[in-house]
Amino acid sequence: MTRIITLRVNGKSYENEVSPRLLLVHYLRDVLGLTGTHIACDTSQCGACTVMFNGESVKSCTMLAVQADGGEVKTVEGLATNGKLHPLQQGFWEKHGLQCGFCTPGMLMSSLNLLQRNPDPTPDEIRHALEGNLCRCTGYQNIVAAVQWAAQEMKAKPAAGVAE
Amino acid sequence: MTVVTANKLLGDPVDRVDGPLKVTGAAPYPSDVTYPGLVHAVLVQSTIAAGTIRSIDAADAEAAPGVLAVITHENAPALAEGPMTPLLGPAPPSPLKDNRILHHGQHVAIVVAETLEQATAAARLVRIDYEETAPVLGIDNPEAAVLRNPWGLETQRGDAAAALASAEVVYDETFAIAAGTNNPLGLFATVARWEGDRLIVHESTQWPTMARQTLATVFNVPENDVQVLVPYLGGGFGAGLRTWPHAILTALAARLVDRPVKLVLTRPQMFTSVGHRAETTQRLRLGATRAGRLVAIDHVGTSTLGAEAANMEFISIETGAAYACPNVATHDRQVRLNIPSPGWMRGPGSEGNFAIESALDELSYTLGIDPLELRLRNYAEVHPQSGLPWSSKALRECYRVGAERFGWTRRTPEIGSMREGNWLVGYGMAGVTFGGAQLPCQVRVSIRRDGSAHVRSAATDIGTGTYTVATQLAAELLGLDIGQVRVEIGDSDLAPAPPSGGSSLATSLGGAIRDAAGNLLRAFLNVLAEDHRSPLQGRRRDDVTAADGRIHLVDDPSVGETYSDILARHELDELAADGEINPQADGAGMAPSGPFAARFAEVRIDAELGLLRVARIVSAVDAGRILNEKLARSQIIGATVMGIGMTMLEETIFDPGSGRIANATFGDYLIPVNADVPDLDVVFVGEPDRFSPIGSKGLGEVGIVGVSAAIANAVYHATGRRIRSLPITIDQLL
Repeated sequence: MTRIITLRVNGKSYENEVSPRLLLVHYLRDVLGLTGTHIACDTSQCGACTVMFNGESVKSCTMLAVQADGGEVKTVEGLATNGKLHPLQQGFWEKHGLQCGFCTPGMLMSSLNLLQRNPDPTPDEIRHALEGNLCRCTGYQNIVAAVQWAAQEMKAKPAAGVAE
Repeated sequence: MTVVTANKLLGDPVDRVDGPLKVTGAAPYPSDVTYPGLVHAVLVQSTIAAGTIRSIDAADAEAAPGVLAVITHENAPALAEGPMTPLLGPAPPSPLKDNRILHHGQHVAIVVAETLEQATAAARLVRIDYEETAPVLGIDNPEAAVLRNPWGLETQRGDAAAALASAEVVYDETFAIAAGTNNPLGLFATVARWEGDRLIVHESTQWPTMARQTLATVFNVPENDVQVLVPYLGGGFGAGLRTWPHAILTALAARLVDRPVKLVLTRPQMFTSVGHRAETTQRLRLGATRAGRLVAIDHVGTSTLGAEAANMEFISIETGAAYACPNVATHDRQVRLNIPSPGWMRGPGSEGNFAIESALDELSYTLGIDPLELRLRNYAEVHPQSGLPWSSKALRECYRVGAERFGWTRRTPEIGSMREGNWLVGYGMAGVTFGGAQLPCQVRVSIRRDGSAHVRSAATDIGTGTYTVATQLAAELLGLDIGQVRVEIGDSDLAPAPPSGGSSLATSLGGAIRDAAGNLLRAFLNVLAEDHRSPLQGRRRDDVTAADGRIHLVDDPSVGETYSDILARHELDELAADGEINPQADGAGMAPSGPFAARFAEVRIDAELGLLRVARIVSAVDAGRILNEKLARSQIIGATVMGIGMTMLEETIFDPGSGRIANATFGDYLIPVNADVPDLDVVFVGEPDRFSPIGSKGLGEVGIVGVSAAIANAVYHATGRRIRSLPITIDQLL
């Protein structure tokens, strides 16, 4: 038994026949080949698979692909516009908010969700907003600095951080 | 060539060269690899810890939709054992040898199907009938076999027993540290494909050269017919230093089904399949004078070990090197249990540091000497075992600068004397003497006609920044811009390299790059030996240096020419040179130093609730020349947070009855989250190391060492409770 789903991912329309038990994260990675969204646990605790769904961050291991039918998904691959890095991407690079990079895509998407709700977060607000995204390498300090950097950049150049 | 040898401590804080790939999701990790016709594998793991398999009924699994193979010990071909590995000893035993079960979670079958969902469903249909026996569990279990001095690493100098017997002050306590699990974020994955007798493996490994050797030995094929690829890895922390049974099973499955096979471990399988920090106990005895001079150290370290596995144990490896004490005896014990094999986890030896640095803190209260002063009174000016001068040592500077930045003098020595409202405040510190090796490494460096350089080695970047520091070094040594250098690593077909492990790679690879860059300049001069049109004709290596894409005379930078002009005139596409490092400490007249550090921690404890919070940690680190300050600082911060995890959160719990790991998820095994992290300050001191060709010492691990003792000592200062077991949990503080 399969189902046909239609959705937009990073602004592009897709129609696929999928098994109802297929997780959204496996749909993104294995069907669409968008392997920037990572899987790092089996229990929805690590946040590595975070994507935006209809404008809100979700853990894509906790959603079925069929639940995304008709919706709009944004992954890390859709964060840059016309080859120009999003301020969050620039911030994580500039402020060294990553080492191995495995948590980075999910961390970026959660940070995007934070800045949409709160464009000028304090370090403490950043730490609590991102406590559902695990990082084993960086010690988080530079991640906080990266999000602050991006927030400043987006305030200075509002167009730079526009999310669809 | 000038900058590397110059007395410049901090390398430029260049942004990491792999940044753009990683922030766009484009960096390919092993789990991202796919092939046409790729199929999926899922492991079946033992649900008992000891016994035998009476029978396996795989009929339902084999008949399930999409299933291609169910491989068990009953139908698997015999596999050879992996080789002895330098640094780490024997390889883990090969899988599916027989029907014996040695630990809960042992791989007893691998199921291959067209889709991951089909393989997962079919794996549940494999029915195994076990003959269960009582497992040997628990580090204190009297039935467990005990190995004594298994690696010949025990230290003996002077007469520790006699010195203890006559010491003015004697300290005698025991310590216990829970097992921990490396848990890199990237789930380990293997994608294996055979092309005839040639095996191509995309593998989560910190050591492609070793992985190639292991797979070649196990499958009895020439090493040249095995290629191991890992351009990016989602962290390692020691878990990737071995080629574990799951990787061998994936390659076996690919051979048997004749399709590319992908296996991605689940998070629970990351606890059972790729090693962990062994549980340890220690007994530590110190003898001292009333003036605070150590006269004896006797250190017994005991760690857990798998029933048939090997794991080099480092608990007391630095005990004899840390302080100037004339009488030292260390004793290494390993206890065989029915548990998954432990392996190295970042900073092996940090366990011993916890004991020594806690003990010195206790001694400081007994003697009424400031903890920092006590360490200075026992400072090892030369290597205490060999008597040789250190190749570099700025531990005294670590103490001084760290104490200043922390404000150590504000500490009032009486227990519980510092308070802020309801919070008891404690200050604690620890000294760190750590090991670090340079290991044999090779590299090839070439320059093309467009002036770009290409650096190739089978090294890896597990997140630490190998790509970036190799790029920086090559650019500096060859006089090029960062953007003109491309580094290619993570491929076992390239020149053999040591692991990203043991705090060794940056220095080893850097030394090899330095050698190659010198050889490459020689190669250019050789080309020009008969070239009358070149201003460099007949010049020797020592006459020239490189800058701005050209080779020029040291004495007169105006005399020279560009790489591009030389290659174009001689109609060469590129020139290449090999470089290597093969460090020999014997006869060097010095003791090769690892990094040193001093850690200072401030904790807050709620007097009524026992809540423990780390307020700040200051780390002063001597890691020789710092290749890239931005990356180096991040290594220390990240490791410090892992140290906070080890100290306050992380504990791999083995169920005492079944041997099953009871908390093998991120919901139950807690690692620090963003909101757990305090104010962290890092400062680098010291000078370039004399034994290291590029002046650097390893710093991938030192950041975790000393964190536990600094926090535990601060807890004592705040509360008067001496905690000698990790993790420190709230029940110990109530």
